[in-house]
Amino acid sequence: MESAEQKQQPRYYFIWFLLLVLTMVEVGVAYLSHLPRTLLILVLVGLAIWKATLVAMYYMHLKFERLRVILLATAPIPLAIILVLGVLLEYAQ
Amino acid sequence: MKEAIAMPGGVHAEPGMRIYNQKLGMWVFLASEVMFFTGLIGAYIILRFGAGDWALPGIPLEEGGTPLAINLTAFNTFMLICSSVTMVKAFAAIEHGDQRGLRLFLLGTVVLGAAFVGIQIFEYIKLTHEGFLPACSAELAEIVPNCGLFGSTFYVMTGFHGAHVSIGVFCMIWVTVKAFRGAYTKENHGGVEVIGLYWHFVDLVWILLFTIVYLI
Amino acid sequence: MATLESSAVPLHAHHDDLSFIRKYIFATDHKIIGLQFLFATLIFLLIGGVMALMIRWQLGFPGEAMPGVGVINPKFYNALVTMHGTFMIFFAIMPLLVGTFGNFLIPLKIGAPDMAFPRLNMMSFWLFVVSGIVMTASLFVEGGAAGAGWTVYAPLSAVPQYTGVSLGQQLWIISIVFFGGSSLLGSVNYITTVINMRAPGMTLFRMPLSIWGLFVTAIIALLAVPILAAAIIMLLFDQTIGTTFFLPAGGGQPLLWQHLFWFFGHPEVYILILPAMGIVSDIIANGSRKPVFGYHSMVLAIIAIAFLGWIVWGHHMFQSGMNPLLGTSFMISTMAIAIPSAIKVFNWLGTMWRGNLWFHTPMLWAVGFVSLFTVGGLSGIFMASNSVDVFIHDTYFIVAHIHYVLFGGSLFAIFAALYFWFPKMFGRCMNENWGRIHFALTFTFYNLTFFPMHLLGMGGHMRRIYDPTAYEFLQPLQPMNKFITVSAFLLFMAQIPFVINFFWSLFAGEKAELNRWRDNGLEWTVPSPAPHGNFTVTPTVYRGPYEFSSPEVEEDFLPQDVPPDGGRERAPETVGR
Repeated sequence: MESAEQKQQPRYYFIWFLLLVLTMVEVGVAYLSHLPRTLLILVLVGLAIWKATLVAMYYMHLKFERLRVILLATAPIPLAIILVLGVLLEYAQ
Repeated sequence: MKEAIAMPGGVHAEPGMRIYNQKLGMWVFLASEVMFFTGLIGAYIILRFGAGDWALPGIPLEEGGTPLAINLTAFNTFMLICSSVTMVKAFAAIEHGDQRGLRLFLLGTVVLGAAFVGIQIFEYIKLTHEGFLPACSAELAEIVPNCGLFGSTFYVMTGFHGAHVSIGVFCMIWVTVKAFRGAYTKENHGGVEVIGLYWHFVDLVWILLFTIVYLI
Repeated sequence: MATLESSAVPLHAHHDDLSFIRKYIFATDHKIIGLQFLFATLIFLLIGGVMALMIRWQLGFPGEAMPGVGVINPKFYNALVTMHGTFMIFFAIMPLLVGTFGNFLIPLKIGAPDMAFPRLNMMSFWLFVVSGIVMTASLFVEGGAAGAGWTVYAPLSAVPQYTGVSLGQQLWIISIVFFGGSSLLGSVNYITTVINMRAPGMTLFRMPLSIWGLFVTAIIALLAVPILAAAIIMLLFDQTIGTTFFLPAGGGQPLLWQHLFWFFGHPEVYILILPAMGIVSDIIANGSRKPVFGYHSMVLAIIAIAFLGWIVWGHHMFQSGMNPLLGTSFMISTMAIAIPSAIKVFNWLGTMWRGNLWFHTPMLWAVGFVSLFTVGGLSGIFMASNSVDVFIHDTYFIVAHIHYVLFGGSLFAIFAALYFWFPKMFGRCMNENWGRIHFALTFTFYNLTFFPMHLLGMGGHMRRIYDPTAYEFLQPLQPMNKFITVSAFLLFMAQIPFVINFFWSLFAGEKAELNRWRDNGLEWTVPSPAPHGNFTVTPTVYRGPYEFSSPEVEEDFLPQDVPPDGGRERAPETVGR
């Protein structure tokens, strides 16, 4: 186990606050139904990915891990994208 | 954790990830969990793309709005995010050998996690009463486009996530009991870190689910 | 989580005083678990084999009563086709390779005392047993066993009325969910063990290729099986609680099932072949008394196959009406897999070339593997071509192909591995002469059974039909069908020498010395059978696994844990970080 001195304590409460603000922004954006759908979806997915990354980096401490752990943790993501995009091509004409 | 071992002949062997087995095992397990949720969420994305019409948030139910209660779930999301911060504070506490902090924050995590499950059950009861099911009630099927498909995907995704949270709560109770018995120390608290990884992962999945299922 | 919490076993555990139940039933020793997998899967292999005979009987002699079984009715025939595939893939080949040899070999070959999580390992085996019991029970429930094929295509599988099977299909799904759990626990264990528990000096590029194969397989299984789990759970809900994921009537997509299934299914194919390739590489190097030709390219080929395996799933669906744009890209990526596969075949040949060949029984099976896998690989290229596939899709050509790869490939490698590691597993040797007879008979009747299937397929013989004589254009092919059936029965009988040899050797075989095959692996440095905890002193590894006929020593092999002799030692390496 890494000793506590080696790494700086991340600002857990600040991340928490950021997550809350982002969630509120998300809910607010979702109600703007008069805006174009594509724009809404892009903004919402972007915000969600931002939040997920914050959790992974700070709460799961990925930011402070070695590269090999980061690679292990992110390895399935390309496969997930390949699957979903590959099948979505069904609808492309 | 294995240290670098100086070998005769100047060969250095550095087996492994430099993290202990349980933590590595949890990361490997989480990788497979990513694929499991990819199956469920991917199916939802694909089906929704193919279906065309879908219930949207921000408009009344009668005009094709979503039957889901966004504000309630937003509050639930808030609970889960809070439980994540208590979890990570518990870990930070025991890293400094703070037993009292560890126990309090773990207790908080258990309570918040259980509350999340409770609110989700409440939401399910409410939705089923309104007739929102994989086999939708006739009146709801009239106004919600692709109601059956929406119900199918909604329950399978949130249901499996809820099951993950519930399992997490039980494990968390177990870790908390151990913490009260003084099983974790400043030097040895792998259990807290490993359950924490699982817990944050479940939170992370919910962050994505909330956006994809409720807000888009 | 309970087991994750516990600490790993102590390095030099001495558990020899365990009770019988702890030692042999709820065992945590990886070697015992490997043997448990072995005996369980051999039973399933037998069940699957008997089912194959019933299928062959019906095709060779449609409508006639099979001795001891009676007339095979169409519904039962559907169940046979489904369950033969299911048992052979999920309950025989995969657990034999991954469960048996994965468990037995990984810690021994990397110099670890046990798996990283011994109790998870035990759970993995018992989940497998539960899964196997549920699957076997589904054969006897009302309505019969699942009949929608091992690929359980929706909507055929999703609506009970279509096949006339409801409970059987649901038990099938539940069984596979348990199986997925077992596979998941196994994968987590293998990956953690290989990454974290290697002996000092055992860098990644000093690992035997069998371990590479099993390691990469574990990664594939880890990431592929959850997709299957998600998909079949949705299918179960379609069957039971009225969801409509795969039912067009409710807005669902039958093609989605095929995509999800094959996104799991194609990596699954490599789960079934990569460990076999690794094991065969080990045995061919041993039998040739030469280092494996192009060790690094072998490793990279395994990794390349594993990666490409994720982007080719659509080649199972060329005739499904999916987007032609997808079809072309899947064709190209599929053909690309021929490159790493060919690298492996040429490297095996290069290893044998001018080797000091020692045709012990395992070597015979390994060479058989190379030849039959090559045939299976080549027939695969035919089907990878989008336009050729129009003609041979879902015919006996694909049946021939899959059996060349899975029987001629995987199962031959399993036999090779069994003959090879039997001494280390049980402390006794299997009889060489009967092993050779077993090989000769199996190889002959194997080819007589499966090669003509290519021709049947070219003649248009469909894959899962009940009665070929019902089709006028297939009637001229019926003599060939009869020939195949007779060959298949002889192939089954050819396994009798193996069964007798196996059980006879178990109790009365020649006592095995420490290093039966004069091999370099760490497993040959420990007693046969190895004690709980494997190594009394953690071994130190100084070289790769294939130093055969090294000029440094008088013998023609140089085990991995022998220290270098001062002067001629190679420069320090820092590979495999």
